[in-house]
Amino acid sequence: MKKHQATAFLLLLLAALVCFFAGREFLTMHEEEAVYPSPHLTIKKRLSDYFPGLKNSPGDSSVYIFEGQKMGGTLLILGGTHPNEPAGFITAVLLVENLEVTQGKVIIVPRANNSGFMHSDPQEGNPQRYSLSTPGGPRWFRYGSRLTNPIHQWPDSVLYVNPAGQKLSGTESRNLNRSYPGRKHGKLTEKIAYAIMQVIDNEKADLAVDLHEAAPEYPVINAIVFHENSAELAAVTLMTLQMEGVDIRLEASPPNLRGLSHREWGDFAKTRAVLLETANTSHGRLKGRPSATLIINGKDKNYMKAAQLGLLFVPFDEDGISLKQRVSRHLASLRALVSGLHELHPDLCIQLDNLPNPIEVQKVGIGPYLTPSK
Amino acid sequence: MIQIIYHFLVLYLTFHLIWFVIREKKFWNQLSGVIVLIMFLLRLLLIK
Repeated sequence: MKKHQATAFLLLLLAALVCFFAGREFLTMHEEEAVYPSPHLTIKKRLSDYFPGLKNSPGDSSVYIFEGQKMGGTLLILGGTHPNEPAGFITAVLLVENLEVTQGKVIIVPRANNSGFMHSDPQEGNPQRYSLSTPGGPRWFRYGSRLTNPIHQWPDSVLYVNPAGQKLSGTESRNLNRSYPGRKHGKLTEKIAYAIMQVIDNEKADLAVDLHEAAPEYPVINAIVFHENSAELAAVTLMTLQMEGVDIRLEASPPNLRGLSHREWGDFAKTRAVLLETANTSHGRLKGRPSATLIINGKDKNYMKAAQLGLLFVPFDEDGISLKQRVSRHLASLRALVSGLHELHPDLCIQLDNLPNPIEVQKVGIGPYLTPSK
Repeated sequence: MIQIIYHFLVLYLTFHLIWFVIREKKFWNQLSGVIVLIMFLLRLLLIK
């Protein structure tokens, strides 16, 4: 064997080793964190039970249903539409692990875009996981990407015309919140959107809430984005929240911004569609070094400076905007929405027991409300 | 179908790269080829 051939085999062996270790690291992103449903859970289903086209695909995800003894309204809650917006996902997990419904029905999908949880955004340096302390030890959760994993949906076209007819850039074809009302025979993300529309239709959801987060420099923040069919409900919710001291604003869903949950759920499924936004420092472009600590405590010097310069749409000081504050805000908004629905439509009462108290969550944190690891 | 074509394409290019690394006499060119090969292998195995 010549010298250069020996070098080649050595380098190829080295490449195989790098592939092995890097591959193992990447594959840990496919692991799903444990969720321990409350004993009051009625039934756990999958999105594929509503749309078999998702069966055995990475887009399939758990659907938790809590049904009360008494008839009432039906509420759908989506977390993890964008897996890099942890407050939405953690709020959904908190509800699954604590809730008891005595009247009406609550359906929760914590990992709406399951595929997006299986990778991280390239060149962002985001941590793969973050941990929350519970009385029985830490529990980890995935920090994913805004978009579906390109391993599961490829290629991105240059231009994407979504199912509602809006023209967007190609990568948006992997954004679940641009893919509604979905396509039965479309790309994976469109199929997930189609499955969620089936959940709304089959379960006859009276109110559907999509939990999100956005960068503090983004104007639609600490906001309730509402479809015009839920304008009255959004207004009542706003008043309730303001009376509780929660500073929040209303944003009407623009009729010409198509493919988003708050638009297409209302237009196609005729449900009351609402999207909730909180301010997430780790999501923003002005942040310093990304880390699990930043996700949890939301403290960042650059954002403090940006706030002093008046560039942010939310107050920001040295305390940051912690995950517990953001989750607390989502919980308070959900509670106000349910109470508003009951106020406007007494027949659509949904009685939520054991809902973590938003003020308590702010005080003691999220951990005490999470089931310790088993 | 497009996925299968894509796989064959990546597989073909992977073999070409391996063949290039074996035949190439300059060390730095071999190393460059191997670095590219890592991406191709991870993509071929549908890991990244």
